Amino acid sequence: MGSSILQFCKRHHLLDFSAYLVLMVGGIILLLKGAEDQGYYWQWFRIPKFLYQFEDGRFIAGPILNGLKITLNITWISLILTYIIGLVTALMRLSNSLMARGIARAYLELTRNTPLLVQIFFMYFVVAPILDIDRFTAGVLALSLFEGSYASEIYRAGIVAVNKGQWEASYTLGLSSYQNYRYIILPQAIRRILPPLTSQAISLIKDSSLVSVIAIYEMTMNANEIASETFLVFEIFFTIAAIYLALALTLSRVVAYFEKRYRVVT
Amino acid sequence: MNTKEFGDYIIRVDNIGKTFDNGVVALKDFSTNIRRSEVVVLIGPSGSGKSTFLRCLNGLEEIDSGSITVDGIPLDDNKKNRLEIRKEVGMVFQHFNLFPHLTVLKNISLAQMLVRKKSRVEAEDETMQLLKKVNIAEKANVFPSQLSGGQQQRVAIARALAMKPKVMMFDEATSALDPEMIGEVLEVMKDLAVEGMTMVVVTHEMGFAREVSDWVIFMEDGMKVEEGTAEHFFSDPKMDRTKLFLSQIL
Repeated sequence: MGSSILQFCKRHHLLDFSAYLVLMVGGIILLLKGAEDQGYYWQWFRIPKFLYQFEDGRFIAGPILNGLKITLNITWISLILTYIIGLVTALMRLSNSLMARGIARAYLELTRNTPLLVQIFFMYFVVAPILDIDRFTAGVLALSLFEGSYASEIYRAGIVAVNKGQWEASYTLGLSSYQNYRYIILPQAIRRILPPLTSQAISLIKDSSLVSVIAIYEMTMNANEIASETFLVFEIFFTIAAIYLALALTLSRVVAYFEKRYRVVT
Repeated sequence: MNTKEFGDYIIRVDNIGKTFDNGVVALKDFSTNIRRSEVVVLIGPSGSGKSTFLRCLNGLEEIDSGSITVDGIPLDDNKKNRLEIRKEVGMVFQHFNLFPHLTVLKNISLAQMLVRKKSRVEAEDETMQLLKKVNIAEKANVFPSQLSGGQQQRVAIARALAMKPKVMMFDEATSALDPEMIGEVLEVMKDLAVEGMTMVVVTHEMGFAREVSDWVIFMEDGMKVEEGTAEHFFSDPKMDRTKLFLSQIL
């Protein structure tokens, strides 16, 4: 009898799941207890109006949603640039040209070994006046260059991982380098590097909050202002954390779907 | 007796040498000439330089010395010459190297469209004819992973033939196959030989070499040990090394 219960539990991962549940509930209880002991006065009811309001039955976005719009704008433009910069840099690193390899290497070392915050300041205070670009563009550029350097290593790993035989087959058929990359190598590499590229996109969403330091009114910047005016520090920051979480989870779900759909069996 | 008619020399290889970066000498002063419609089989122990020789013929490996000419075009640093030779010399690999993300139809028609500049309809028509030729027309719309090894290799042969090459090279095309699938691939290769295709074949299939080849070259340590017609080579080898090799393999 006892052994059959144990078997049932094993089969349904019941023990495993119970342990998980106990840990999660325990964590939440501890968190709430900690907050209570602090004597913090939670005022969640004041939060919705910072998200949205209805005036005369019309929907009006609050400062957080307005900030979210800017965050999304920064993210999608930076994401496209990140993927382009990453791909170009990866191809430069793999090229036969010493100059291309040198430039790519210098760019990678510089961006990956200095803090993003410093790069954003540098872009805004040094580069932007020279190129005459606004703060939004400067922020987007700084983010794209930073994330692009990581993306390039992901691309490079994906390209190098494509079987040598694929390069040889395409070479013997007379395909040019461009055709080889376009039709043979990249379609195979991209399918493999979709998961790490998605992680990169999620990092980008989170890192976009750093451009608030050059007074771009994205979600984190607005949240900061509200928090300092209302002292609803925890409520506001938990709220935007939940929004970042929702964005990141949605993105990984979408990518997981495509990954499954376009899987290549080698 | 072999009554096959051969044309002029399509491949001229003059004293080529090749040493890999790790110091291994793959080819030493290797020379040979191959005529149109001739089937040349290279045999020898592994590491003797057979595959390297094939790979040098279409520029997959760089030679360190000597010269190679294919259909009058020198294989040199000139990119245009190289591209021309790559188009004229088809290659079939041991591990097929089909493109896993493309269907059989696309595997074969892609290069026809990109390199030979055919329209999609023309390329796909040609592809279907080739698939019939290698007895696999019903698999046009499946992916390589859904095929057996023998079927994949036949697709790879069709893919190379689609470029209308003047020379076909086979680099141990049956070595990665299950025994029961070797026959179907060898059949296709025999048909090609009968049709008069110039072929350079690296193989361990001595039956095929004996039956189909016009010229056999036995290599060891990057050098030619012995060569001759299949008839002479298999029934009356001159060198002790060749005799030993044949006694081990036959």
